[in-house]
Amino acid sequence: MLLLIAAQLVAALLAPALVRWWGPRAFFALALVPAATFGWLLAALPRLTAEGAVREQVGWIPTLRLDLDLRIDALAALMALLVTGVGALILLYSRWYFADEREGLGRYAFSFMAFAGAMLGLVVSDNVLLLYVFWELTTIFSYLLIAQYYDVRSSRRAALQALIVTTFGGLAMLVGFVLLGAVSGSYQLSYLVAHPPQGGVAVAAAVLLLLGVLSKSAIVPLHFWLPSAMAAPTPVSAYLHAAAMVKAGIYLIARMNPQFAALPVWRWSLLVLGAAGLLVGAWKALRQADLKLLLAYGTVSQLGFMAFSFGIGTPQAALAGVLLIVAHALYKSTTFLVVGAIDHATGTRDLRLLSGLGRRAPLLALAAALGIASMIGVPPLLGFVAKDAVYEAARGTLPAGPGPVVLVAVTFLGAVLTVAYGVRFWWGAFATWDPDRPEADRARPTHAVGRGIVAAPLLLALAGLGAGLTLPWLGPALARAAGTPELEVGLWHGIGLPLLASLAGLLGGAVLVVALRRRGAVRALVPEHLEAQAQYRRLMRGLDRVAGEVTGATQRGSLPFYLGAALVVLAALLLWVLLAGGRPALPGGWEPWDSPAEAWVAVLTVIAVVAAARSRQRLAAVLLVGVSGYAMVAIFVMRGAPDLALTQALVETCTLVAFVLVLRKLPKTIRHRHSGRQRARRLLIAIPLGVLVAVGGAVALGMRTAPAISERFPGPVYDFGGGRNIVNVILVDLRAWDTFGEISVLLAAATGVASLVFLRRPTGSPPQLDQNARRRTALPAQHRTFLRGGLAVAAENRSVVLELATRVLFPTMIVLSVYLLFAGHNVPGGGFTGGLVAGLALVVRYLAAGRYELGEAAPIDAGLVLGLGLLFAGGTGAAALLTGGAVLQSTIWTATLPLFGDVKLVSALFFDIGVYLVVVGLVLDILRSLGAELDRREESAGAAPNAGGEPAR
Amino acid sequence: MSALLAADLAPFPVPSIEYSAISPLIAIFGAAVLGVLVEALLPRTARRPVQLVLTFGALAVAFGLVIWQRDTRATVLEGAVTIDGPTLFLQGTIIALAFVAALVMAERRVDVAGDDFAPRASALPGSDYERDLTRLGWLQTEVWPLLLFSIGGMVLFPASGDLLTMFIALEVLSLPLYLLTGMARRRRLLSQEASLKYFVLGAFSSALFLYGVALLYGFAGTVSLSGIAEALTDDAQQYGLVLGGTALVAIGLLFKIGASPFHQWTPDVYQGAPTSVTGFMAACTKVAAFGALLKVLFVALGGVRWDWAPMLWVIAVLTMVVGSIVAITQTDMKRMLAYSAVAQAGFVLVGVVAASPDGMAGTLVYLVAYGFASVGAFAVVTLVRDATGEATHLSQWAGLGKRSPLVAGVFALFLLAFAGIPLTSGFIGKFAVFTAGVASGAVALVVIAVVASAIAAFFYIRVILLMFFHDPAPDGPAVVVPSSMTTIAIAVTVAVTIVVGVIPQPLLALISDAGVFVR
Repeated sequence: MLLLIAAQLVAALLAPALVRWWGPRAFFALALVPAATFGWLLAALPRLTAEGAVREQVGWIPTLRLDLDLRIDALAALMALLVTGVGALILLYSRWYFADEREGLGRYAFSFMAFAGAMLGLVVSDNVLLLYVFWELTTIFSYLLIAQYYDVRSSRRAALQALIVTTFGGLAMLVGFVLLGAVSGSYQLSYLVAHPPQGGVAVAAAVLLLLGVLSKSAIVPLHFWLPSAMAAPTPVSAYLHAAAMVKAGIYLIARMNPQFAALPVWRWSLLVLGAAGLLVGAWKALRQADLKLLLAYGTVSQLGFMAFSFGIGTPQAALAGVLLIVAHALYKSTTFLVVGAIDHATGTRDLRLLSGLGRRAPLLALAAALGIASMIGVPPLLGFVAKDAVYEAARGTLPAGPGPVVLVAVTFLGAVLTVAYGVRFWWGAFATWDPDRPEADRARPTHAVGRGIVAAPLLLALAGLGAGLTLPWLGPALARAAGTPELEVGLWHGIGLPLLASLAGLLGGAVLVVALRRRGAVRALVPEHLEAQAQYRRLMRGLDRVAGEVTGATQRGSLPFYLGAALVVLAALLLWVLLAGGRPALPGGWEPWDSPAEAWVAVLTVIAVVAAARSRQRLAAVLLVGVSGYAMVAIFVMRGAPDLALTQALVETCTLVAFVLVLRKLPKTIRHRHSGRQRARRLLIAIPLGVLVAVGGAVALGMRTAPAISERFPGPVYDFGGGRNIVNVILVDLRAWDTFGEISVLLAAATGVASLVFLRRPTGSPPQLDQNARRRTALPAQHRTFLRGGLAVAAENRSVVLELATRVLFPTMIVLSVYLLFAGHNVPGGGFTGGLVAGLALVVRYLAAGRYELGEAAPIDAGLVLGLGLLFAGGTGAAALLTGGAVLQSTIWTATLPLFGDVKLVSALFFDIGVYLVVVGLVLDILRSLGAELDRREESAGAAPNAGGEPAR
Repeated sequence: MSALLAADLAPFPVPSIEYSAISPLIAIFGAAVLGVLVEALLPRTARRPVQLVLTFGALAVAFGLVIWQRDTRATVLEGAVTIDGPTLFLQGTIIALAFVAALVMAERRVDVAGDDFAPRASALPGSDYERDLTRLGWLQTEVWPLLLFSIGGMVLFPASGDLLTMFIALEVLSLPLYLLTGMARRRRLLSQEASLKYFVLGAFSSALFLYGVALLYGFAGTVSLSGIAEALTDDAQQYGLVLGGTALVAIGLLFKIGASPFHQWTPDVYQGAPTSVTGFMAACTKVAAFGALLKVLFVALGGVRWDWAPMLWVIAVLTMVVGSIVAITQTDMKRMLAYSAVAQAGFVLVGVVAASPDGMAGTLVYLVAYGFASVGAFAVVTLVRDATGEATHLSQWAGLGKRSPLVAGVFALFLLAFAGIPLTSGFIGKFAVFTAGVASGAVALVVIAVVASAIAAFFYIRVILLMFFHDPAPDGPAVVVPSSMTTIAIAVTVAVTIVVGVIPQPLLALISDAGVFVR
């Protein structure tokens, strides 16, 4: 069996080449493949009857329990026979239908063969996951087949619509299968049918499976894709939309019915939706002028009828359903192929234009007549037998179902409508309407209906007749397929309700046809906007619109917006944590403040922050932000942490300087103003988030269970680090590795800033630093002045007071910085702080007298300072190795020196010197690049405006 | 200034270093450092070949080392790194994906001006300087060490044994990515803007991650993943810290994953970055971040599964739905793929929410399937070009199937894989996570995932429709014939997509042999 499916797929791969070589005649060869399968199945039938089922199992993906697990029982064999038999005949038919077409034929042949293979696989799969795989494959290949004439827009849309609807249904079905598998522990179809799960899971699975079934078998309300799919070539419609694909859903119903018939949701869905499909489809079929659309709606109607029949739930009903499947496959493919032949010969399918075809193509008319007769239930055709069986089933019903009266009434009504559109089809296609008028008016004059093209529909029609006549032999096999071998299938049950109802239905249909003809055109009873097709369109449009709006609303490319969205989520999460996190207690011993002055500091901070947010001046805004930093300094001081306060103050100052250096190159005022609403929105995010973060932080502190690591610091700080300033000893000893890493980062950052600013070479070697900016500039020494660099500054820009003050301050600051460096181990200070002070001293020089003064103050390369610093720090670490210690281990020497008294020298001091140098280097680097270099450019740009941005050297 | 570690202050034990277990990391980081030296010391013309040899050599060696270490289950480097089955699987996946993505980055035939990168990222866009460099045919070779550092971070990410190592890995993988994003040769401003956005939002997410780490430390008194798990087994009094920490750490990781509502950077960055980098980022970052997420959630926070699962449930739904729906309106191929990546992340999250060994296996399968298809898809995008560079507008792809059936067919295959059509790798991934989801009782989530898949299938198939069933515009873009680099990359990704789709059993067996994370 697996081989046969594989053969089908191999044939599919070869098909394009065959078509290229042999043209449409290749279809003869291709038809052999399904025909062979058909033959194999026939030959296997006796064995099937004897053994009940033939199995074939090959492992594929055992981990996912997805295996090639095939099982042919009576039902599968019946479906497979239909799929292959009808498939072979339609391939034969294609040879004539596509006789004059070349383009796209290879793709058609491939898709058709592949589809047939997938369909075959679908009906013989015993693994539900495998079934799903084949199910999706049929969807995809059907898509290709429907889109055969893809240059027609409606054709593409129809194909896409069919694909979307059935893919969605298929995925839902997959979940249903997975659910069943998860509960019952097996993905084997036969096992699932034999061991139905119970309860809510079964209901959920049933609903999900139904979604798949409805979409695939075009049952109301998911039927709308089928009429649109008539854009496909007619042989495709005959196969997909009559015999094969749409039957996949019905097949699944037939399979699962024994398991699910006990579930009201399953049965009622089938009954209600089936009945709706039966009546709506038939009614709409009656309104069509296009023969093919008429058949399409007829198919919707008949598929609904099958679902309805299975929905009754009794064994008799199951039998009736299976009979309907077979009968429908035969007569509907017949009629589709007839329409194809008509279309091919006359170029139209409009029954208002066709006339006199019955005389010109008697064989075709005969095939159509047989097909229609079966459809409307004329004895002794198979269609009659099937309808008869439905009436029989409708008389008995399960408890908690609708009464027999309702069931019979629905069946009868459906039958009347079916007769009406069936008769209309045949009459419209073949009757001679107006013998006086030349046919040329009515339809394009074309060639006669060929002989070959009639063969397939005629054979199928005769099969319908033959099946009816050979029922005594065929009946038991069909009953076995329905799983009801005990029931008898016969042509003649005596005169009873079924027969009478059938005959009354025929009569009613005839009356309806006459009545409708008299009333002229059939008017629409269903308003257009209620139609499923329109709903689908609306859904898709809505989806497009929602997508557009969501994109417009959320994806503006605005960074503040993105950040805002993330912050809102963060706030929501924090709130959730605070509410759900159990005991939101503040830590014990909390008090508002140590001294009331702290409250004033807080108030000041708040005012400054608000003012900063409102400021229109960039500089003012930065300064106001700085206030919060200095407020922290105040808090540190009040809390008795002078070392932290000192460091914080210096860092804040240096940051401000860097800020100012950059900001002076930007426009002074912030021109872009946010609207009031924007600001309100931001406030709405900012304030709650700020509150939540603060409260969250406080609560988190109160919740911590682990003791703070800092409590263990004081001892080691003195014992190992040899110092009393904890902060400093942490930096240079306990966590010296961290510090070392951080000063490396600092160095890299400084280099990065500098290289960005100094980059200006068009091509050639890597950018080199401008000599003037980094080295002292020789200035004439004849003038005596406070700061020599000031000579290079224009007189109106100089401030004597500032220069004088700087002259005095600078040495003092340097001394202070050195003191801080050395004293830092025990009292507030340290290399970091000292470095910052020295850096600030340089800042003062630069601010007082411009860029040349910087060169005067620090006539060395900033990179050299940075490098030296890192070398010192690293060297200290490495030196410890020489003395036999671990890396960065401190050594303490004590000595008594004259004048100084007792001196205690800790090796960490050298490390601290390294830190000092790095910090000084960093500040120097910033001044040199963001300060002096930018000044220089401004000057040269002012001096030579035509230089085009490339500063003259 | 100094970060306070939780290490004991008592005499410092010399850490034992299990070199073999971390040998893949050493190979990658070592090569990255060498790459920096190459940049500093070698003449410009010699750099590119050396960098390529270094990069591909390091990746190949690292992959070999991962295979060599396949049976290692160990906690090494004083608990900073744990190596186990899933970790090794993730590492192997990341390295393999990176290798393929790097092949696309090394391509220099598709763009007449050189490769995918600006000759010097710091040059002003549109300046004479930049034009001169382009004219001289300069190629940026610093991308290679950057790439290696990023890969190193990714390989370390899921191997982290404590949250600080994880944070460092996060930064090491992210920072080079921010830079690489800003280095596109074409559309420089878009690229720089993307880089800035990625950096700011990424830095923000890193900060949140760190905040979360602090809270978890406050709860457990340790940052080690197993330590946190142990603390959770005790009576969890300070529940709020755990919840807050979990949420914040998860947000940090979900940012990198690109899960909604933290996905907004994705389309901008995917569009702005050089396409070859986008492919790398889309695949490798996602794998690494999911690996880290799995590790945190399963190893450290397994005890509070009932708290994070609902949160992830909501995020998964949001991610799938937003990604799928918004992708529909996209008119730019890269943006569409970006949203598709968002939606895919949502599907992967279904496997995470399942919170079971099956769910984890499903997640891993999905990541492999998605990763290769993603690299492949972006590689194809680099090939469709017109005079101004890549032709990424959807309308320009109309009728591509008629001009270059092979390239369009390959792209269609990737799209089908994204859509989860059977016989492609995507189906196996989807099926695996959906099964795990259903088995763990998240039926509603899986149903929503199915609806989202159907919507996603809609836009994937619309692109296929566009390529094959529309007529090409007369002045449409051309498909450039790439060198063997991109060709190999595309061939490999196609092969993986098909092989995993048709015979996934070896991969699935590998994953189930990998077992679960060690503690």
